[in-house]
Amino acid sequence: MYIKTKKFTISRIHTYLLVFLKGLFFLAILVMAFSCSKKPIRESKETPALPPLDSFSNGVFVVNEGNFNWGNASVSFINLSDNTVDADLFEPINHRSLGDVAQSMNISGNQGYIVVNNSNKIEIVSLKDFSSVKSLSGFNSPRDIAFVTSDKAYVTNLLGDIMVINLHTMEIKEIIKTSCWTEQMVKFGNLIFVAAIGKYDDPNSKRNAKVLIINSLTDQIIDSIKTGKEPLGMVIDRKEKVWVLCTGGYDNYEAPSLIRIDPLLLIVEKSFPFPNVKDAPSRLCINGTGDTLYFLKNGIFQMPVTALTLSSQPLIPSQGRLFYGLGINPANGNIFASDAVDYVQNGLVYQFSSSTGQLIHSYEVGRIPGSFCFSNASVKN
Amino acid sequence: MIGAKTHIRVVLLFFLFFVNQFLFSQSLKDTLQLEGFEVKSNFLVHNPGFKKVRIDSSLLIPQMNADLSTILAQHSTIFIKSYGNGSLATPSLRGTSASHTQIEWNGISINSPMLGMMNLSQVPVSQFNDIDILYGPASISQTSGAFGGVINLVTNPDWNNRINLLIAQTLASFSSYNTNVGIAIGNLNVQSVTKINYGSALNDFPFYNEQTNSRQKQQNAQYSLGGISEEAFFKFSNKYFLTARLWYSENNTHIPPISTNVKNLDNFVQKDRVLKSMIEGKVLGKKNVLTLRTALVDQFMSFTDSISKHQVYSWTNRVKWTFSGIKNLSFKPGIDINYDWVISDAYDGEKTRSNIGAFAEFIYDLKKINFTLVFRQDIIDGKFLPFIPGFGFGLSPFNKINISLNANVSKNYRYPSLNDLYWRVYGNPDLHPETDYATEGSIIYSYLNKKRHFFLEAEITGYYSKMIDLITWTPVTGNSSVWSPENISEVLARGAEVGFNLWLEVWKGKISIDNNYSYCKSTSEKAKSAQDASVGKQLIYIPVHSLNSTLTLKRNEFYLSYIFQFVSKRYTGTDNETYMPAYSLSNLIFGKNIHLRKIIVSLQLQINNLLDLDYQSIVNRPMPGRNYAFTLKFNFLNQQPN
Repeated sequence: MYIKTKKFTISRIHTYLLVFLKGLFFLAILVMAFSCSKKPIRESKETPALPPLDSFSNGVFVVNEGNFNWGNASVSFINLSDNTVDADLFEPINHRSLGDVAQSMNISGNQGYIVVNNSNKIEIVSLKDFSSVKSLSGFNSPRDIAFVTSDKAYVTNLLGDIMVINLHTMEIKEIIKTSCWTEQMVKFGNLIFVAAIGKYDDPNSKRNAKVLIINSLTDQIIDSIKTGKEPLGMVIDRKEKVWVLCTGGYDNYEAPSLIRIDPLLLIVEKSFPFPNVKDAPSRLCINGTGDTLYFLKNGIFQMPVTALTLSSQPLIPSQGRLFYGLGINPANGNIFASDAVDYVQNGLVYQFSSSTGQLIHSYEVGRIPGSFCFSNASVKN
Repeated sequence: MIGAKTHIRVVLLFFLFFVNQFLFSQSLKDTLQLEGFEVKSNFLVHNPGFKKVRIDSSLLIPQMNADLSTILAQHSTIFIKSYGNGSLATPSLRGTSASHTQIEWNGISINSPMLGMMNLSQVPVSQFNDIDILYGPASISQTSGAFGGVINLVTNPDWNNRINLLIAQTLASFSSYNTNVGIAIGNLNVQSVTKINYGSALNDFPFYNEQTNSRQKQQNAQYSLGGISEEAFFKFSNKYFLTARLWYSENNTHIPPISTNVKNLDNFVQKDRVLKSMIEGKVLGKKNVLTLRTALVDQFMSFTDSISKHQVYSWTNRVKWTFSGIKNLSFKPGIDINYDWVISDAYDGEKTRSNIGAFAEFIYDLKKINFTLVFRQDIIDGKFLPFIPGFGFGLSPFNKINISLNANVSKNYRYPSLNDLYWRVYGNPDLHPETDYATEGSIIYSYLNKKRHFFLEAEITGYYSKMIDLITWTPVTGNSSVWSPENISEVLARGAEVGFNLWLEVWKGKISIDNNYSYCKSTSEKAKSAQDASVGKQLIYIPVHSLNSTLTLKRNEFYLSYIFQFVSKRYTGTDNETYMPAYSLSNLIFGKNIHLRKIIVSLQLQINNLLDLDYQSIVNRPMPGRNYAFTLKFNFLNQQPN
């Protein structure tokens, strides 16, 4: 009887053990099924981009900022010969993200310089296949790059200083000291005009907004001209007048203004104040012939450089679109505007006719398309 | 013998395939109330028809050194959006945003009134005993606006005559240290509980970075979390109860850069100091319960980068009366009087908010069927929020089978957060409340066998919630550099939750399995512009499927827990073109308790990310690979009969 009981117990244990082991086995299978992939878990695309096949001879690079602190910046290319789009050039060939918040791109020779603001770098790419040539660091939150001569470029920064880059060694050669947040640059002879907002950490009441004038032979700041608050955009026209668009402050500190500077006399010749303090003009551009200005203010505004007043009606009304970036094709004056939609999906680019403002074509690009770089634009040296 | 064998096979079948629960139809409802040890159900109702889930405290004990986000991710259907070890972690209940979930500490809100949400990684598990989750409409009796629900962290008195001392020390990977001390002393009438926790981590885990094509260590991710709490419980003649609680915590969290920003020089640190205090009085009558509560929460937060500082005082008061004097009817009216006061660099001047809320719950009990009516009327800054109603019913059709059907419908409103209203330049004082129309239905089943060595509970819930006028920060028309909140989004959230737990005493040991599965379709329903491709698409960072399972084996004071988590793909774009791939994680906890007279010494080894998965949960936020934690715990207990 005793033995029988013991047998019973042992066989019971066995059964339980067996069933339990079976359970573990199934569990293991479950785990394997879910996690056998050794591939790292990284952000992916439903339709992965492929490296581009054609050259970048006739078209426009669209710099997609991506979301701040997501590291999903990208560059798209619109081929203007056949209106096809390469949605993402950088990642498919370099197998890494372009970085965090791509601000602008400029071309020098057969290389593209992409300013990646929050990754604090400039990504230099070959325009043959968009492969990375060098990732240049050492900036203070870079904003824009301008080629001063065939040997050097200036880089403006959000948190002060302007870096001078040697284009042969692709290294920072010198630093022009300034505490100002600096933005766009234009070239006038040997002088570089730099839009300077004031110290980034200061409120607009404390900031001294101005245009800095740098002698590019000595890399020295030699003078400055006072402007309205937040001079974010700057272009130079065919008569060699420098135009500066001042937003008036993100906090609506003052009414925005468009000002014209005589770069020889270093004075503000003319100021076009915007009527409403809440107006928020942005993205000052000029066409290839240098006779017409464009900017965004809800819609797209056009203004001949000879105009005596600001135009009150847009050339292209927004009609429910959220225009975010603006660029003018230097070859034919066609207008390119981007729409970031809700800022968390692929953006759009519209091409409008320069003369009529009619929509010619629209293109789907990357996340938050912010600026344009035309591949046919010759570097003004 | 054959019976037992079949039994276990069935159990396994259950575990693997979630087969329907009606097989166990010979169960007895009353067995659950038998004397002896307590058998706790975790799938509950808050009021008839309204879902409540308790996370079993036995799941919390081995993870004293963890934070709330880890526990919820492993043991609930709540999705946790985590930016990495020790970094920001926010909950998403039923496809809602973090501000739709209210975190409470013994019934008082500890969400920041500025943000309207809470960072769950800053709440140490050692500071509370139980977690109660009120899902969706069940939150109405607690607060307005918690469309997702309420997560209540509960500490309860133990009225034994005792001295209990606990000291635990954890050493873990990445220079991580965690110390917990607990002192509980008291008798039948007075109890004092003191808890101290301190944890720090360098958190410099290695990860592979595509950006540099190399393995690197995480930078600037160190953190420290410290806290001390004191609770005093008084009981006078089983009729009057008084509770006083004080909890101070101080956290310093460095914010690491994303993996693409290798040359980023930022050294962001967030500092939080929070003091929570409350006094609660309760009078128990034969047909009455009167509860009075007053609480003050003082939160200070600073960021070093922009030198921004935020000081928030929240004073919350509640009077609640429970009356069950009328046949079949119980009536629970109450008043909340809350006041928030904020001094912040982000606002122009001081901002305040007053909220007077009147609420009432009516429960009509007809044994097999019960009805609940809930009403709430909030008056915020003198303005009446729309009236909030909820109606639910619970049905228990069988005497011998412990199964209940529950359903409810409700309408709810959420008032904007203080940041939404007052953030300098960007805030929008013209916002109006968000609206939610919700309904849910559930089936709850439990079974305990006569010999009380097998327990099973299962729960399935379906929900449907339409949220309109949701507040979303969008660029101001014509000025993309300025973002402002607007009532522009509409979301439809619907899905199902399945819970399945069982334990089995066998072979002088115990096997338990806890499972949670969530299916959640939460989609954008309104285009923000003609070009918007988000309509009908899943919201970002909300998985459609998530599953977690815990298998625990206990024998001879040895214990082994295997914790499995699966999260399906989460979209990272509103057009659903980009996503984070699905992943699954395995954790293992192994320990032994050694009894030395009145001291229990516990040794425990925990292995997280057992399979060393290289994963990210949020774009470019690296997560640690396989890592270890070793805990040594002393628990001294001297208990005398009362």
